[in-house]
Amino acid sequence: MSEHATLAAPRSGMRIGLVGQRLTLLAVLLGIWWLCSLRLPHYVLPGPQRVWDALMLIAGNGDLWSNLAITLERVCIGFVLATLISVPLGIMLGAIKPLGEFFEPVLPVLNTVSSAIWAIFAIIWFGISNATTIFVVFMTAMPLIITNVWQGTRTVNADFIELAHTLRMPARKVMTKIYLPTIMPYFFSGARLAFGFGWRVSLVAETLGSSSGVGYRLRQAADLIQTDQVFAWTLTMIAMMVALESGVLKPLENHLFRWKKEAEAQ
Amino acid sequence: MTVHAAIAEVDAGAIALAGISKSFPSANGALAVLDNINLSVRPHTIVALLGASGCGKTTLLSIIAGLVRPDRGEVSFGGRPAARFNEWRSISYMFQEDRLLPWRSTVANVEFGLEAGDMPHAERRRRALDALKLVGLDSFEDAFPHQLSGGMRSRVALARSLVTEPVTLLMDEPFSKLDAQTRAQMHAELLRIHSLKHMTIVFVTHDVEEAVILADEVVVLAPRPGRIREIVPITCARPRDPTESSAIHAIQHLRSLI
Repeated sequence: MSEHATLAAPRSGMRIGLVGQRLTLLAVLLGIWWLCSLRLPHYVLPGPQRVWDALMLIAGNGDLWSNLAITLERVCIGFVLATLISVPLGIMLGAIKPLGEFFEPVLPVLNTVSSAIWAIFAIIWFGISNATTIFVVFMTAMPLIITNVWQGTRTVNADFIELAHTLRMPARKVMTKIYLPTIMPYFFSGARLAFGFGWRVSLVAETLGSSSGVGYRLRQAADLIQTDQVFAWTLTMIAMMVALESGVLKPLENHLFRWKKEAEAQ
Repeated sequence: MTVHAAIAEVDAGAIALAGISKSFPSANGALAVLDNINLSVRPHTIVALLGASGCGKTTLLSIIAGLVRPDRGEVSFGGRPAARFNEWRSISYMFQEDRLLPWRSTVANVEFGLEAGDMPHAERRRRALDALKLVGLDSFEDAFPHQLSGGMRSRVALARSLVTEPVTLLMDEPFSKLDAQTRAQMHAELLRIHSLKHMTIVFVTHDVEEAVILADEVVVLAPRPGRIREIVPITCARPRDPTESSAIHAIQHLRSLI
């Protein structure tokens, strides 16, 4: 406890320094952007003020929120489906050795397929619909989660299984009390990666095969040479991802795996 | 468990091994690990299985625990064959390593000992806290294993074995990974708890001094195949001091046997 108290002071000092650094970086980038925009036509590079106005416009007329919600919904559905299928598959591949060896080459192959190719297939199979985007997110997230869960099952400690046996613990409880907690950190890092990738590829899918969502609106704005709106959508997406990452996922991971993080820090 | 309850279960604490033999397959045929082991352990006593490595002492303990099935022979608890003895909570097993689950806090690790059944969580928590108090760790309930010292981790493992209030405690060199001073503390701790709970303890060790400090009886095993060479009662007064003459005498006698 006393260690924590002594560590807290320099840590919060460092945090203030870090925030200052980040704000300065943001100001510098904004400055460069503004200077460049002065010398270029606004349909090539709109200035910060123009982009801000465009952002206010789409936020004001509800365009921003409805399309963000549509995209987020598709990403979440694809991601949840991928999780539901990948976690049991990953555990199975890890727990049944011959099965794992047999299917081992499939995952790297799946991982090398570009999301644009999945999008093309999705349009052929599902046409312009929600399913297209969901499918692309699913196909991108699935191999990532399977790979991580599979890796996690390999690290299950046989000593803990034996301990559970001396306690006459039924197999179902060994699964939930030993396997799942061991796999959790692996699943979580896979899921984080998969969600980030899913979010990005959803835009590709919406650009090609959708009539709504952020990706669709991005392409529409580009087609109409509303470059300021393209910038506004892009900034929104970046802000959203950063907020999810640092506001939800990172703190959640820190809390869930505090036993692990501190062990590594030692 | 109160002393009264312990006395009521006098018979349950008795362990009998009759004609236990075990061999494992190896490159050149079956390798006999244990050959015709006959042993009876009186209830509430502390018995050490002592021998050099390869004498099958851990295998014997695993057979008593029901983790390994003997080729021949029978284990019985309180006169009942182990096969029909399904009160899992009355036998606890403590491993050489503490085997604490790193993702669980101290108290949750102790609770793990009760999670095979369906005891309500509040009851489990209460018993786990009692067990932690018993081993002197009640103020560390929320710590994670990596925050504890080796001795403290060992105490948590001991609390996890005790939380089921076992009639029989089986220990496989549980303190062998601790430094000498901590090991001596754990010996005192175990003896203190034994004087409160009176469980039957069978522990495996290759450390002659440890056997003399803890045991009422030392079963000396001879290797390849493992068989009983001699059963040596230790009669020195408790608490025992390994530098005292009667203890030195016992230690020397045991050393001559292994």
